[in-house]
Amino acid sequence: MTARHDPELDDVLQDEELRRLGLLLGSATRSEPPLDEAFRSALRRNLMNQAEGMAERRAPWWRLRISPPVVAWAGAAVGLVLIAAVVVYNQVAPLGTSNQIVISSPLDGGQAVQLQQPIKVAFNQPMNHAATEAAVQVTPATTVTFSWQDNTLSVLPTSGTLAPNTQYQVTIGSTAQTAGGVALPQAQTITFVTQTQTPPTPSPTPHPSPTPGSLVTGEKHLAPLGSTAQGQAGWSIAWSADSSRVYVVTGGGALQVVPANGGDVTVIAADGVTSASVSPAGDRLAYVRGGKLETLNLSDSTTSELAPSPRATLAGWAGSKVVWAAGDGVYTQKGSNGWTQLAPLPTEGTVAVVSISPDGSHAAYTQDQKLMVLDLTSGKSTQLGQDGATFQGWSPGSSKVMFSVTGGIAVADLNGNKTATLPPAAPSWSSKDAILLGGDTALSQVPPDGSSVIKLADGTYNSPVWAPDGMTFAFVRGTSLWVAAAPKLPALPSSLDQAKAVVDAFMQARLNNHPDEATALLDDSGKLAYAPGGLSLTISGDPSFSRYYILTQEITATTPDTAKFVVRLVLSHSKLDVSNIEETLTVVRNTDTDQFVIDQATSGAHRDLGKGAEVVGVEVGPSSIQVTFDSDLDPTTVVGGVFVVDSHGKRIDANSNYDRKTVTISGLDLKPGAQYKLVVSTSVRDVLGHKVASEYDLVIVGPAPDSHESVARQGTPSPSPSPSPSPNPSPGG
Amino acid sequence: MSYPSRDDEPELVERAKRDPRQFGALYDRHFQQIYRFVYSRVREQTAAEDVTSEVFMKALKAIPRYQDTGRPFAAWLYQIAVNAIADRYRTQRPAQPLDDFHDLSVAGPALEEVAAHRDEMRRIWALVENLPAQQKTALVLKFQEDMKIEDIAVAMGKSSGAVKLLIHRGVSRLRDEAEALRPE
Repeated sequence: MTARHDPELDDVLQDEELRRLGLLLGSATRSEPPLDEAFRSALRRNLMNQAEGMAERRAPWWRLRISPPVVAWAGAAVGLVLIAAVVVYNQVAPLGTSNQIVISSPLDGGQAVQLQQPIKVAFNQPMNHAATEAAVQVTPATTVTFSWQDNTLSVLPTSGTLAPNTQYQVTIGSTAQTAGGVALPQAQTITFVTQTQTPPTPSPTPHPSPTPGSLVTGEKHLAPLGSTAQGQAGWSIAWSADSSRVYVVTGGGALQVVPANGGDVTVIAADGVTSASVSPAGDRLAYVRGGKLETLNLSDSTTSELAPSPRATLAGWAGSKVVWAAGDGVYTQKGSNGWTQLAPLPTEGTVAVVSISPDGSHAAYTQDQKLMVLDLTSGKSTQLGQDGATFQGWSPGSSKVMFSVTGGIAVADLNGNKTATLPPAAPSWSSKDAILLGGDTALSQVPPDGSSVIKLADGTYNSPVWAPDGMTFAFVRGTSLWVAAAPKLPALPSSLDQAKAVVDAFMQARLNNHPDEATALLDDSGKLAYAPGGLSLTISGDPSFSRYYILTQEITATTPDTAKFVVRLVLSHSKLDVSNIEETLTVVRNTDTDQFVIDQATSGAHRDLGKGAEVVGVEVGPSSIQVTFDSDLDPTTVVGGVFVVDSHGKRIDANSNYDRKTVTISGLDLKPGAQYKLVVSTSVRDVLGHKVASEYDLVIVGPAPDSHESVARQGTPSPSPSPSPSPNPSPGG
Repeated sequence: MSYPSRDDEPELVERAKRDPRQFGALYDRHFQQIYRFVYSRVREQTAAEDVTSEVFMKALKAIPRYQDTGRPFAAWLYQIAVNAIADRYRTQRPAQPLDDFHDLSVAGPALEEVAAHRDEMRRIWALVENLPAQQKTALVLKFQEDMKIEDIAVAMGKSSGAVKLLIHRGVSRLRDEAEALRPE
């Protein structure tokens, strides 16, 4: 036995048996109790937070005045780059001597620090490289390399990247020394938070200024239109189906055709034409001339004529059948020489059809001051807007209509329900869902939801009309017809982007302690989740709610569009992150308003930070899941430690690969809408050997395809930043 | 085994008194023993973590007022721990003892002898659990933490004589209870 005689006990335990018991008690080897290393480090971190606060309260005035936040604030005030400086004075040295060690880092205090960059730490004097490097500690556990340039130390993660959504603490310990052997009197910590991994959503209002250059290219003068004759409807423009030719009804009533790339004008009809329309197949041109309906076969240039009664006023197409408007209704051809009324027009007031929809299913007409849309199948009429509204155009699919309202152009469905308001101008809706807005002084482009108006050019671009290709357009400048090309609109935001914007607004409102703004983004079910007794919209107290980040996001259903977001609410004390709360938000598109609202919310328990590697990002795809950690991991612990189980708890066979803080689980076949669980077990360790404090589970759902995703992915993110200059400077602009 | 009492400890303490951010070095040095002591008293990991946190938080807050009396710094930490445990369990009993906490160093003796020794030691330590709280604390600090009586006195806020009395009474009571359990 290893019992040891303790002389101190000689006069305490005088009896032989007592001494024997004393020896027996003292011979126990202290087997260490169960200890969670993460607890030890978390407690240290909390203590250091507390100590930081105590030190701040105790610091002399001159140290407070140069403390990092004050410097940062002052820097902001003068509009300089924020470089927070931590100035440390040797305890025995007077101010201003060479013993003063100044440490600064451009990252200190940063809130959305880019991931691919070294952590630069600048000293004001030469340092002992080996001692200083040895004194550097990075939290979370990160393998780093060092390099020096003059007195600046670059701490570079060997993986080449910092973890997203993570607060880093880089401590220069007190064992750091100057080249002259003077030790840092106290450890100094640089703190910053990294950006989120997913690229930021493009601003909803991209606003490339075309000035002084124009984003419109290839402007070309095609033909004179002639002045609008008194009493006539004025000119009108129609494109051939292949976008190669433009048919023009001039002010004088002539029907002409001109190649879109310029060239000679061909006169089809010299006068009396009031309306022209190309068939959807592009093989025929119908036009109204003197109340008669003429149809030109474009392949063989043969013409057929119909003389309906009452007289035709406006031509259009319903598929391969010509349709026309007359004074009392809308008609279509029946047989070779007959016709039939599709729907009657009202008999009261002054009634005139102004347009037939591209698919021939509806007609817009005016009845005195009212603008109406007539369903040619049911004969039902619906008023568009208020009295005085004027017709402005159709969507290519004929499901929406544009008309003028006070201060702008309304976009509405055929029941008159307004879905957007565009700036006041002459609109044309392209096959690619871009709306040109032309006018006397400028040309703009806008998506049908009116979300982002992009000015394309200054100048006169009256009555623009898109070609079917959605790239070129015709317009009127002065009394002439012109063509030009417009850039593509920026990609429409995907459903996920739209849902994320709502989640961001919701979280930002909570972060700013504006519960009313947050509540406005909840539907009834969502409000119930945040009702008293449920989750809390406002988070107060210490530690305080300092930031949030989206851990994972995915579209889980498409009818209606439904997205799931897992959001981490980070709580901080003395500027250091200490814990987080995980909320799972289900965001659903309201079918009436087309807007996303938060429909369901659940919350997990507080999770203390600093207890081993933390998951900071999860990207779920149908066949793979990427799990990003805040720490560098021991790769040997990853394969068995990060996996996916199905709804029965059965582990799914898959391949695991670890690279640069990210575990990729591939070879999955996640069924849309099915529930799975991502598991990070306690066997996962970081490079320092710290294990994950407790198993982390994340419920995930097999992703549904994002209905708008393909559009978003394919679209050009923004108009070309350097359009080629117009070969034909506008003479008439 | 004795707790760390390195030559540089007074300097570390002085630094921490001047700048609480230097407390980390003292924490690193003493965490293990304080945690072990607390665990031996509360016998439950979560409770041990709670009490240990409380001990070091209190120590940090009080460090500017710490007076060096020449006793080891650890004695002061033990004092905070003893009080924290007493506060926590003023009205409730700690969790059940763990059989495998105290073990033998098994070098040399025959296995049968080792087994018998281990068995008796376990029984004795199990009896320690039933001692009055102050006797138990004194015995744990003396026999488990291997502290000097004067340091235990600091930790327990008593005189050395009182600590000796507690140890004497505690071990005597163990003897009596062990005899009562011994088969006739």
